[in-house]
Amino acid sequence: MFAHNFRYTLKYLLKNRMLIFWTYAFPVILGLLFYLAFSNIEKDEKLQVIPIALVKEEAGQAAGQGENPAGEILEETVKSLSKENDPDRLFDMEYVTESKAKKLLDQDKIRGYLLLGKEPQVVVRENGTEQTIFQQVISQILQQARLSQAVTDSPAMQKALSGISSPEEARERAEKVLEGLKQENPNIQDRSGDHLGYTVIEYYTLIAMACLYSATIGMYAVNSMLANMSRKGMRISVSPAGKGRLIFSGVCASYVVQLLGLGILFAFLVFGLKVDFGRQILPVLFLALTGSFCGLCVGIAVGALVKASENTKIGVIISVTMLGCFLSGMMGITMKYLVDKNIPLLNRINPAAMITDGFYALYYYDTLNRYWLNIGSLLLFSLLMILLSVWSLKRQTYKSL
Amino acid sequence: MLILKTYFQVLKKYSGVVILFTAILLGFACFNFKTKDNAVGFSASRPDIYVFGEEEETGLSALLRDYLEEYANIRKPVLKDGGSGGDPQEDEAVEDALFYRDVAMIIRIPEGFGSDFLDGKRPALAVRSTKDAEASYVEMQLERFLETAGTLQQAGYSEKELIKRAREILWETVPATAAGSMDSEALSGATFYYNFANYSLLAGCVYAIAMILSSFRGKQIHRRTVVSGMNYRILNRRLLLANSLFTLLLWGLYVLISMVLIKDVMFTKHGLCYMANSFVFACCALSVGFLIGNLVPGKEALSGVINVVALGSSFLCGAFVPVQWLPEGVLKAAHLLPSYWFIQNNELIRKMETVDAASIKPLLINGAVILLFAALFVALTNLLERNSRRRRA
Repeated sequence: MFAHNFRYTLKYLLKNRMLIFWTYAFPVILGLLFYLAFSNIEKDEKLQVIPIALVKEEAGQAAGQGENPAGEILEETVKSLSKENDPDRLFDMEYVTESKAKKLLDQDKIRGYLLLGKEPQVVVRENGTEQTIFQQVISQILQQARLSQAVTDSPAMQKALSGISSPEEARERAEKVLEGLKQENPNIQDRSGDHLGYTVIEYYTLIAMACLYSATIGMYAVNSMLANMSRKGMRISVSPAGKGRLIFSGVCASYVVQLLGLGILFAFLVFGLKVDFGRQILPVLFLALTGSFCGLCVGIAVGALVKASENTKIGVIISVTMLGCFLSGMMGITMKYLVDKNIPLLNRINPAAMITDGFYALYYYDTLNRYWLNIGSLLLFSLLMILLSVWSLKRQTYKSL
Repeated sequence: MLILKTYFQVLKKYSGVVILFTAILLGFACFNFKTKDNAVGFSASRPDIYVFGEEEETGLSALLRDYLEEYANIRKPVLKDGGSGGDPQEDEAVEDALFYRDVAMIIRIPEGFGSDFLDGKRPALAVRSTKDAEASYVEMQLERFLETAGTLQQAGYSEKELIKRAREILWETVPATAAGSMDSEALSGATFYYNFANYSLLAGCVYAIAMILSSFRGKQIHRRTVVSGMNYRILNRRLLLANSLFTLLLWGLYVLISMVLIKDVMFTKHGLCYMANSFVFACCALSVGFLIGNLVPGKEALSGVINVVALGSSFLCGAFVPVQWLPEGVLKAAHLLPSYWFIQNNELIRKMETVDAASIKPLLINGAVILLFAALFVALTNLLERNSRRRRA
């Protein structure tokens, strides 16, 4: 009986075009959309060459009037920071008039411009990191001049120059002191980990969604056995076949269909889109299997508990799954973090967040504590769904069929 | 009246999903909008960072902390284990904050940093960063501090004098002015909201309209309508009216939400532009709903098509990801979708300094493109309907 029902449930599920779309095609389509939309994010968030302009004369001021002695240093340094083939290039600079600079700023073609007047001034259009870096780099060039002055006034210099009257000798001594100052190389040890690519979260939510879409498969399997949902269900209800065994074989067949879909998605993500799942492939697979099982249990629970048409049940499953995935970061990567930080309980009961967090823990953390916590939560959630389904299915009686 | 009443009765059945799309928009907006002061004029970016170090910092260590505080927000992490035992740097709350870009950098000032530095040693500052532009900025400031303090130490300054000189040098900044007179933060918030509304408006309108049309055009209902005295032209006109009413209500709801959440912008001329732009897009969403409702047979297939259309155009046109981060090829392809023109308009409104005839000209052009899309969808729907009527006849 088990093998018979298993085989026919498998056939029934694989012939359902809607189900094939939601479990096999939709996650792959969404994965492709993610790839198209997010492939540039991590590259673009790094510091880019900042487009700026340099205005040598203020409006209404003739060239050479009221020039700042630091202006030349500023100009030369900005020029050297704008060298085209330099790997440390910071700016893309062009010389323009003030009116042209204003125009370029309005057109968003430059982040800001530097007015090299009596008092150097930075003009930007709006606040932002690039604008701030521009202002700070200009400040640092001026700070360098002050630092040189501080070195000239320093005790080491005073000591070296004490008792010397000849200007030439003084200059020689001063140069010696300056040569004696070692080049300062800031000792900053970067201990950042390798796994900082946060767009992977999107793909993790996608797997979470695919796992939870197995709920539709579970729901179809249960629905086909419910007497109030289909003629087949009526026949099963009046047959002497053990319902427990029928449901179990149906669930097993559903699980096989789901794993097939998950396999397609994994193959697409790993080989097609080159998504990094960290180094531990077995825990990754185990989490996907547990997540799919959890999704299946949700489907069985919806099939058994929701007294409505098949379409409404699908609507409930898709809506709940979409909401869960939204909260776990599908439509904005930081959403999961914001929910975790502000309403942690919401993600504790959200299976999509448990699956996403499990993958994240595997990718980012060296230990498996958080991963096992998520596996435990998923199994607990699944158990709760099974208990609710059993409770509901056991209570079902029909006055007439 | 009968059709209108029936329409809203059927709508009730699908209201759950429309409420869900609205809740997603609301959730997204509430989580992402931070209350900020009016930000007219230039204010430098202050990345969030965590700094761990000695409990009581003095001398050079204290100066470093002061300096970092000047250019960044030093935040205190709320540790998950409540701070009981273990290295706070390895707490999950700290690790998560770095991964999700809540902080740009974690800096550890080693014990005895100040005294070692003044002795001529150069103790290492251990950092972990997100490697993004903000992290580069903090690193730039750290390097500047260490270079300045190191040079002053080599020049023989005593601790007290070094701190005084370093303060004079490092705290000096070139004045910066913002040419824009608008509150750029508030405008960015409004753009963010209306860009995301692309998804909710499109998915909500298309889902409800297509599902309801599908109900009205079901085989049994259609046959009953044909044998009744109802003229199909009147039926179509009333359905159009009901759908338009629903679209207007949904658009009104989203505008109302924006008025509550971003009132600083919504009651200005810029706000009016956002409203008008979203209204034009809502009209287009109405036509997309009509087209999909007529094109796709069966309610089961409808939800799949709607999800692909709404999510697809939202991802490809920059509703979820800032437009400037989208690859060029994707943006070129997005020109074929009305969402692209809607989002482009939102971005234009954000950058608009003043609202006058010259500045709204590109908005009008983009709006016209959206309306052209709507006209195209309506024409396609009519064509499809005519063909299907002929087939049935």
